[in-house]
Parts: sequence; C-alpha cells; structure tokens
Amino acid sequence: MFHKVLIANRGEIAVRIIRACRELGIRAVAIYSEADAESVHVRMADEAVCVGPAPSNQSYLKIDAIVAAALAVKAEAIHPGYGFLAESAEFARAVTSAGLTFIGPTPEAMEIMGSKTSARRAAVAAGVPIVPGTVEPLASFAEASVTAEKFGYPVMLKAAAGGGGKGMRLVVDHNELRSAFDTAQAEAAAAFGDSSLYLEKAVEQPRHIEIQIFGDTHGNMVHLGERECSIQRRHQKVIEECPSPINDPELRRQMGEAAVRLGRAVNYTGAGTVEFLFSDATHDFYFLEMNTRLQVEHPVTELVTGRDLVREQFFVAIGEALSFQQPDIEWLGHAIECRIYAEDPANNFFPSPGTITHLREPAGPGVRIDSGVTRLSEVSIHYDPMIAKLAVWGRTRDEAIERLRRALGEYEVTGITTTLPFFREIVRDEEFITARLDTGFIARFNERRSEPEISLEDQDLATIAAALHYTKQQQQQVRVQNSASKWKLAGRHAGLKGLETQGTHRRS
Amino acid sequence: MKLKALIDDREEELLLELREGRVSARIGARSYELDVREIEAGSYLFSSGNRVRECLVDENGVVIDGHTYKVQIIDPKRLRSGPDASSHHHGAAEIVAPMPGKVVRVQLEAGANVEKGTGVVVVEAMKMQNEMKSPQAGVVVSINVKAGDTVNAGDVLAVVE
Repeated sequence: MFHKVLIANRGEIAVRIIRACRELGIRAVAIYSEADAESVHVRMADEAVCVGPAPSNQSYLKIDAIVAAALAVKAEAIHPGYGFLAESAEFARAVTSAGLTFIGPTPEAMEIMGSKTSARRAAVAAGVPIVPGTVEPLASFAEASVTAEKFGYPVMLKAAAGGGGKGMRLVVDHNELRSAFDTAQAEAAAAFGDSSLYLEKAVEQPRHIEIQIFGDTHGNMVHLGERECSIQRRHQKVIEECPSPINDPELRRQMGEAAVRLGRAVNYTGAGTVEFLFSDATHDFYFLEMNTRLQVEHPVTELVTGRDLVREQFFVAIGEALSFQQPDIEWLGHAIECRIYAEDPANNFFPSPGTITHLREPAGPGVRIDSGVTRLSEVSIHYDPMIAKLAVWGRTRDEAIERLRRALGEYEVTGITTTLPFFREIVRDEEFITARLDTGFIARFNERRSEPEISLEDQDLATIAAALHYTKQQQQQVRVQNSASKWKLAGRHAGLKGLETQGTHRRS
Repeated sequence: MKLKALIDDREEELLLELREGRVSARIGARSYELDVREIEAGSYLFSSGNRVRECLVDENGVVIDGHTYKVQIIDPKRLRSGPDASSHHHGAAEIVAPMPGKVVRVQLEAGANVEKGTGVVVVEAMKMQNEMKSPQAGVVVSINVKAGDTVNAGDVLAVVE
C-alpha cells in the first residue's frame, strides 16, 4: 500500500479520504487555501501544504502548485475527491507525468465522459439508451433556437463540460431561451472554462437514478446497485437513497448491466457513477451522464452494501483486483442521505455564509455523519455551501425515515442558516413517506407545504431566552468596559511614575 | 428589567427578572416562572417541574427543537427612535443582494421597462449564478452596481418603480 497520499480537496470529502488513509496506515497530506488554514481537514491531516489564496482558481484548482506540493512532501499518489480537479484529465496527466499515481480512472476515460456530447456518443455505441437531443455542441444561439423547436419545448440546455447542475437550465418556451442560453453559457465558462452547450428534450417528471460501478486494472467491472437522487433543487441533489424505493431487482439488473457495458467501453478503473433518467410512466431509462469519480452520495451505497468504496479505490490504484465480484454484492436494508447546505430554504436556497456559533451533530444507531466543519468554522463564499452529510440506515425505508427524523431533531447548527429545517419538514411529508419521487418533488413540496404550527408557549420561551441573552450580554459589556478602564488607569499611573507600560504588564 | 420584543411582526411588552438561576417573566398578560442554566455561551436550559427545554440564541434568533424563532429585543432605555417607518417608498421596489457575492452581469439599463420576474442583475456566490429578478412590473429607476462589483448581503442592486 502507499505510504503517503496527498488529498487534493477540502471539506467533508477530504475528511472522508483522510479517514480511509488512517485505516490503511497511509500518511495523509492535506492541501489548503489561505482561507482554510484552520479548517477541519487540515487539523485532521498528518501534513498540510498551503497551495494559494482563497479563490479556488488560485488554490484548489492550481494543478502545478498541487503536483509540486505532492512532490515536495514525497507523496506517492493523489486522491482528487469530487469537484475541483476530480474530473480534469489534464490534472490526471500532470499527476502521472510527475511519476505519481492518480487515484481515479485514466485521462482517456475522463475525456470521453467529461464532454457530455462524446459521452452520449459512447453510450449509443455501447447500446445504452440516451435522451433525444443533440450529440454535438450547439454552434450558436440561432442553432439552439432551431434545435429547440425541432425537439419541442420543454428542453434542457446543458454545459457540455458540465456537472453539479452548473450551466444547466430548463427552458419551458421560446421566450426564456435567450436569457437561459446566456446564463448557462456564462456559468459553464466560469465553472468549467468551456462555454459550449448542448440541448436535450426534457423528460417529463423523471426520476434521477444512478448506478455505482467499480472497475479494476484486471478487466473486472462490477455494479453496486442504484441510488435514487430525484429530490433536487437547481438540478443539485439534496436527498439520496439506496436502494431506489422502486426496489425492482430486474430493473436494477438491466440498469446495472447497461452501466457496466458503458464502463467497459471506456476501460473504466476505480469508482464511477452512471446517471440515468427514469420515467415512471414508461419504465424507460435514459443515460444522462457518467461521473468519473467518487460521488458525494457514496455513503448510502456503502451503508447498504457494506463495502468501503474509498478503501477499494486505494487497492485498485495500487493494481490489485477488486475485492468483490458481481455475485458478492448484496443489498441489505435502506439508507437515506441529506446534504446539509449553508443555504436559506426560505429564500430560494440562497447561500448563507458565516460562522458556526454552535454545533451538535446527531449520533446513535444507524447514523453516519460526514462533516467538514466544527463549531467556529467559517463557511466562506468561496466554496460549495455543503457543510456536511447526514446518512442513516434502517432495515426498511420506513425505519430509515424514522431514524432520519430522530437524527434531524438532534442536529443543531446556529450562526448560519442551513437546510436542516427544510429536511425536518420533508421527512414528515406524505409524498416523501410514500416515495412519490421525481425531480419536480421540491417544486411541488414548496407549493403544498404549510408553515409548521408554532405554540405561543414556545414563542414566549424563545422570547425569554432572547431577553435573558440580551441582559447577559449587557452585563458582559459593562464588565469589559470596567476592566478596560482599569488598564488605562494602570497605564496612566505607570506613565506618571516614568515606568514603561510593559513593566506594568509584567508585574500585574 | 423592562424590555420590548419583536416576534416576527408582533410587538410584546416584556418584564424579566433573574434571581439565583430562576427567571420570572411576564409577556403581555402571560406569566412564567422557570429555572434556567446557561450551559455554554448562548445555550440556555429551562426547566419547570420535570419539563426541560433547551434554547440556543444567536444573532439570527432563537432555536428550540430545530425551529428558529425570529425574536428581536428592544431596550427602551437605549432606543432613540423606533423602527424607521419613513423608508417605505410607495410603488418602489428594491432589488437587494441576498448574500455576499460578485456581480457577473447587469442585464438592463436604467429606464428599461420590466415585467414581474424579468432578470435585472446576475450575482455569483459560491459558484452559482443567481439571476436577481424584478419583484414587480415597472421601470428600472436606478442600477447601483456594475459587472465585477463585490456586493454584501442587503446591498441595493437596483430600484424598480
């Protein structure tokens, strides 16, 4: 096994990878930006290297600085996590040419899947169904306009280099196309350095179901079943489950085999995810994209299959065969994950940066927390607003929901606004409980949700607490003022006596 | 101690007395007698008989069982004037930055006609571009930012009348 690995990431995923390193006896090297010098992943690492200022294009995206850091600390490999450089073929090549191991697939596989248009071509070649749409990037707005008319509205505009919902817009009619096209293009250019877009016919009320695959350098390719990720806002997932509540072994086999075929077509190695749209009406599934990296929501698969995906990534990277074959994979129980974002659900999920003043995370049976913050952590505007993931496991979906409700009740974060209250409402929602899921879930939920009932007694208690806190703060301010004036007084005395104030300090 | 509290938009008179870990409070016509411990800064554990409730206080409000109550305490002794009522312009709507970020694009000029929902300014924060839309139909009377500007939460980006 490696002796030392550099983790080219931050936040909860860097912490997750450090944990795997610890268990395997690998020394973990963190990188950080100047804004992250006190963050959790730095505090947990064995070694840490500052790679630049706060903006990610000057730190976490700086290929030469990161490779230089790995060489300087004599790391043998780099784990990219997800986001940042995880899907950059250029980064993978730079790592390999420096004589280091990139813990992930080959740059060639990343390139094919990295462009959504070439990924769609690969899917067609591997016999995997795709959503009707363009397989080449759109040359102009005029082409977008003509193509949209051809497929018929609603359509989806998507960044060819995209992921994570960035550079993606649903366009309901022609009037919206211009503004959506410009915004998606600008967002794509900013996020991926590539503004090219393509267009798909929007599948109505689809579920988002993805298949976890794993390949090794010996030609083995296995799927670990599906994750249902239909609950999304702004095309970003907020709740994920394994298995999908559809829980149909035949469908799992079909989708799993399609994903494995696609993985084989690009000689995929390591952990990857093939995303599909699924139509309840027709039971058809369509290839959406492949993510050539570890996925944010990998914990739900780990909880249900009992396999440690990050650990497996390390073994594949040193050239070992997968520790499991397809018949070894079994699915036990049900897992659900909530992504805890520093965002205000009451204000259109706008980011809510700030300092965490109080934090208590849930624990107990069936609860897993992957967190990148502690009390007094600063959630900055520079990075993704996800602060932690809460995942629960239960024997059945109902048991998992009961656990999730309990765990969300225990979870306390103050100082910043989070999506926690929103999740507490969702886990009591009838459509969620009965698993009527599709990507329009949150839009419908927002329309039907009613303000939670508030008792006058609790309001009064809150008022008393606020008033008590106010009076305590007043008293403290008075104390601080008094003590400050004593220092001043001592200073003046010292001045009169012709002594240096420093001397006064030392004596007092 | 005599205070005023703003709970959402409701104003209440509040009388509070704290003596040896016991708080007596009167809110409007309701009276409470509670034991209280300050567990850590901003965290208060109230008890009455066998019932216990923990309250977390920060600048956003008070959290009880995961629900945030927006409570603002007003000290009449320190207050020079009440909440500013003169700032309400009739028919004018401000488009306000909801979070700190960077202006990526200004899509309209002052004088432009807008519908409700027309995008006016695009602000990027945490890698997401957010289109700030006009809350009403009317005319853009002023645009206070340009592309590249850094804005803070609460900054007025544009005014529509």
